[in-house]
Amino acid sequence: VIRKYFWPICLVGLFLTSVLSQSCDLLYVHLNRVTWQNLKLLSHMSNPFPVECLKEKKAFELPQEILSHTQPVKRHIEEAFYEISSQVFNIFSQHACKSAWDEKHLKQIQIGLHQQVEYLERCLEEEEKERDRETLLNNLKLRRYFNRLGNFLKDKKYSQCAWEIVLVEIRRCV
Amino acid sequence: MLALLGTAALVLVAGAPWVSPAAAGGKNLTSPQNVEVCIIDDAFTLKWDRSDESVSNVTFSADYQTPKMRNWEKLPGCQYITGTMCNFSSVKLNVFEKIKLRVRAEKGNETSPWHEVGSFVPYRKAQIGPPEARLKAEDKAIIVDISPPGTKDSLMWATDRSAFTYRLVIWENSASVDERTETVYPGGKIYKLSPETTYCLKVKAELRLQRRVGSYSPVYCINTTVENKLPPPENIEVDAKNQSYVLKWDYTYENVTFQAQWLYAYFKKILGNHSDKWKQIPGCRNVKTTQCVFPQKVFPEGTYLLRVQASNGNKTSFWSEEKALDTEIKTAILPPVISMKSISNSLQIYIGAPKDTENKSVSQAYVLTYEIIFWKNTSNAERKILQKKGDFVIPDLHPLTVYCVKARALVEGERWNKSSVFSDTVCEKTKPGNTSIAWLISGVCTVVFFIPAVIYVVKHLLGYIKYVFFPSCKPPPSIDQYFSEQSLKNLLLSTSEEQTERCFIIENTDALVTVEETNQVGEDHKKYSSQTSRDSGNYSNEDENSGGKTSEELVQQEIL
Repeated sequence: VIRKYFWPICLVGLFLTSVLSQSCDLLYVHLNRVTWQNLKLLSHMSNPFPVECLKEKKAFELPQEILSHTQPVKRHIEEAFYEISSQVFNIFSQHACKSAWDEKHLKQIQIGLHQQVEYLERCLEEEEKERDRETLLNNLKLRRYFNRLGNFLKDKKYSQCAWEIVLVEIRRCV
Repeated sequence: MLALLGTAALVLVAGAPWVSPAAAGGKNLTSPQNVEVCIIDDAFTLKWDRSDESVSNVTFSADYQTPKMRNWEKLPGCQYITGTMCNFSSVKLNVFEKIKLRVRAEKGNETSPWHEVGSFVPYRKAQIGPPEARLKAEDKAIIVDISPPGTKDSLMWATDRSAFTYRLVIWENSASVDERTETVYPGGKIYKLSPETTYCLKVKAELRLQRRVGSYSPVYCINTTVENKLPPPENIEVDAKNQSYVLKWDYTYENVTFQAQWLYAYFKKILGNHSDKWKQIPGCRNVKTTQCVFPQKVFPEGTYLLRVQASNGNKTSFWSEEKALDTEIKTAILPPVISMKSISNSLQIYIGAPKDTENKSVSQAYVLTYEIIFWKNTSNAERKILQKKGDFVIPDLHPLTVYCVKARALVEGERWNKSSVFSDTVCEKTKPGNTSIAWLISGVCTVVFFIPAVIYVVKHLLGYIKYVFFPSCKPPPSIDQYFSEQSLKNLLLSTSEEQTERCFIIENTDALVTVEETNQVGEDHKKYSSQTSRDSGNYSNEDENSGGKTSEELVQQEIL
């Protein structure tokens, strides 16, 4: 079930990076590499998924329509990507994260995500454009989604299982 | 009857106002006016105005409803309020979901109609409150430790805590005219201050990408310390050389040792105190020179912050400014690779990323601008252009000239301002363009190839025309043999001079025919010419007319 979503999301990721390339020229080359590295890191972090955690699985309803817009306004996707990267970084920088993961991997993920966020920020700031309604709406949807993830972690008191489930979910959207 | 109806109508009309207040629930209670929701960070406030000042002992209550709820529910903290505002922060709302509110006035058993506040998303309506700052003074700098707006468990800014940027206004307490505005990050420092001075500052938080600005914090004041005997090192630079990094700095005094530390840059985005997370850079402890070298392996990929401190036995200086090291950008900006193609009188240039020793394309982290310098091979006059794209055309060059091009990559950012060395020079000759030269060449070709052809054609045409209009009626040579007499010859030959002939028909009085017409209508001419041909048969002037006849016939043929 989880694997089924992996390829479509990979393709979306590729699409994202190709769209981003037009705006930030060479920045994209680096961003692409960093993003893929992060993706690989995330998949290494927990392999295989512990079976006992399956029963705690929850549907978080990732707003996929944001990533697969039929009329891709480049800036919307850039901003969505930035928000996602930013939020994922937030999740991994929580203190309770330390107990769940191998420190080396965690550090690498944090470094990688931080770079991703920084480059995106730079890219977005370069193009000073007005935020339109669509962006704000997408922003809200993404925040609701990450809010659900965050609340799930809190409710389950940051248990290992909770982290594993959240990790799988994050892989889907990064 | 009518009167009865009239009275009934009157009663009904009079009765109506009795009915509606009963439904509304009160004779005189009107719903509150100007209802507003005010959200600052996690504080939710509902405000309204009394609609009727004269009525006393009125209380107000509010309800709320989210899309998930089927009915309106009482809003905790906003029940039977005597004032004109209430605080409902205790409700653990999902700040990203829409919510509706309504308020009404109550007095005893009576209630006013509900005044509804349209549905809104708290996150969008929220205003950014003031951040909190804790200051720590050095001699020429102040460390500002800023906490984001809201509490640590803030629900409103839970997703934004690391996205806030802060704008700080600082001034000397004595001279409030000299204000400085700076953008700081949590745990950031304000530099370039004077020792032993009182400085005051205020901070506000911003969410730049959402274009939202918060309100200023209260003013904080602090005194900078006495000037430290040892100043901190300055102008820190990191360069990549071969397989190591060279960390350099400036220092005015002698007989000091230095040590350098590093920190993961991402810690700056995570809130909290990270002063214990700085680590020593190997090979940079107790160095006596103003530089230290360490292998690149020390910093695997990522962004790091470096700082240097001087010490003199028992005294140490404050830490220098932090210098960011992005391993991607610091592995030197390699010169680009140029390839050119000449198209008519312009050059198409492709600037590519350089390849490193392993033949992989080296990626650069920031947007590169290329500085391209080109000149004519024969002269020294160089022209410079700047381009952001790697694929462009230099137009309007002199054709058939050798131009040479070299380029270098420039990076401009807040933290880096570097350029690569110049690439190798590439020269290329421009082709002739579609200028006058092209015309000249095609003109020459025309002259060379077409004029003889034209002459040939014209010659033939002339010959043909001559043949048609000026036939050289030489009698066949055989006639010469037979007509040796000169007079006869004259007779024969003289007709060749005659082009037209006037013939008058003596016998036939129908019409006077002239043969010299050329512009007559074909039909008439036909008639005439047939006549003439007939008539000319009657003539004995055959000799005289033969030339005319031939010319006639020819003309006839011509016209027909």
